[in-house]
Amino acid sequence: MYLNPFTFHQPTTISEAARLLANSPHSKLVAGGSFLINNLKQLKRRGMKTPGHIISLKNIIELKGIAVDHQKLVIPSMTTIREILECPSLDDNFRILKNAAKNIATTPIRNTATIGGNLTCRYTWTEMPAVMIALEADFHFIGADNHEHTLSAENFFKNGAKTDKILSHITILRDKNAALVYARVRRSGYVDIPLLSVCLKTAFEKNSLTKTCLAINNSVEFAQRDTKLENFLNQRPIFQELPQEALDHLHEAIYNTRADDYKKYIFRVTLKNALAELIQKKPGILK
Amino acid sequence: MNRQTTLTINRKKYVVDLQGHETLLEVLRDHLGLTGTKSSCDDAECGACTVHINGHAMLSCITLARDVAGEEITTIEGLAQGDDLHPIQQTFLDHGAVQCGFCIPGMIMSSKALLDKNSKPSQEEMEYALDGNICRCAGYLKMFNAIREAGKIMGARPQANSEKETS
Repeated sequence: MYLNPFTFHQPTTISEAARLLANSPHSKLVAGGSFLINNLKQLKRRGMKTPGHIISLKNIIELKGIAVDHQKLVIPSMTTIREILECPSLDDNFRILKNAAKNIATTPIRNTATIGGNLTCRYTWTEMPAVMIALEADFHFIGADNHEHTLSAENFFKNGAKTDKILSHITILRDKNAALVYARVRRSGYVDIPLLSVCLKTAFEKNSLTKTCLAINNSVEFAQRDTKLENFLNQRPIFQELPQEALDHLHEAIYNTRADDYKKYIFRVTLKNALAELIQKKPGILK
Repeated sequence: MNRQTTLTINRKKYVVDLQGHETLLEVLRDHLGLTGTKSSCDDAECGACTVHINGHAMLSCITLARDVAGEEITTIEGLAQGDDLHPIQQTFLDHGAVQCGFCIPGMIMSSKALLDKNSKPSQEEMEYALDGNICRCAGYLKMFNAIREAGKIMGARPQANSEKETS
């Protein structure tokens, strides 16, 4: 027996799933399963208590099917990472989702894992949270009362990604003027974990950066913005040494939690390179 | 709750009595005797348990069997047609791409998912498609040669490509 026994539920609507979640003690949701099933195995190996109820979201049609129009992108939570990668209509600022998705784990995991699981599993080291904050995404949840609750990505992660509701979908507004860069530092090991994910968004105004958003995820804290660095970058004229100079204005504490000197160095190099790449996106800049 | 679950594996229907907590890997190997799919790390890291679900390479060790009732599941046992090996199986043999052999069913399933979409993959595309499969013998070079060769055969014989078309 690979997993401890549990009662398995397969609801077909979000409201049914939300009711089951509220009414079943010690219950967990399963989307793709790449986090939860491994987690259940680890708990079993350590002799720890495992959930008595598992609620599968797989049969809920409402949670599937990406929709894009000229105003916004709607990603239902059961969209797999592969579906994001293969979606032909992710252009403008939505394209950055593909850049992040292509780096997630391995092919069979990308075929299984869902965006909802990536964002709500409460592991701190997933790829998408920083991207969602930079894209100013809104998360829409359904609770047992069957009402929709909306929370910005930034506020969701500020609250430690805690929720007793079901993530139904994510909405992102189209922004034709935004330039975005995603970068990550990957731990070189048998498990593919980004030690640092960085997503930078800016708009160019004449020769300066405006509306810059810099979201980071550093594998020990939940994703957040580096507002200190954003303040430094905004309205700053673009010049060649800007990425190097920006490193003196990091909010150090949010990057370096529990990191050794080597990691701190790699984080700084990654951020500098990401900034340099962002500046290269300015129209008319000499490449 | 009805525990009788119908799984479609290699174009054949199996009715299995499942409580709900059984992984697809457990059902394939322990309930149905389809032991070609290997159990190795059991942590979604090695790729030895790779099968196809609706044509996509997925890990049976993290898939709940009840969750894939009604889906088309293909295991390594479903690739050959009688005595005729699938082109990928044949080229793995021809190129001596098998050392200890434990990772090979997973490697072949991931390779097939790639070649079904793209029969002329670049080196980079092969590495990306097989990034979830680990060979402890480190015999990757001959595997890539075998995959390239199989791609040529599959490109010339499109009927060998699709799981549905071979049924």
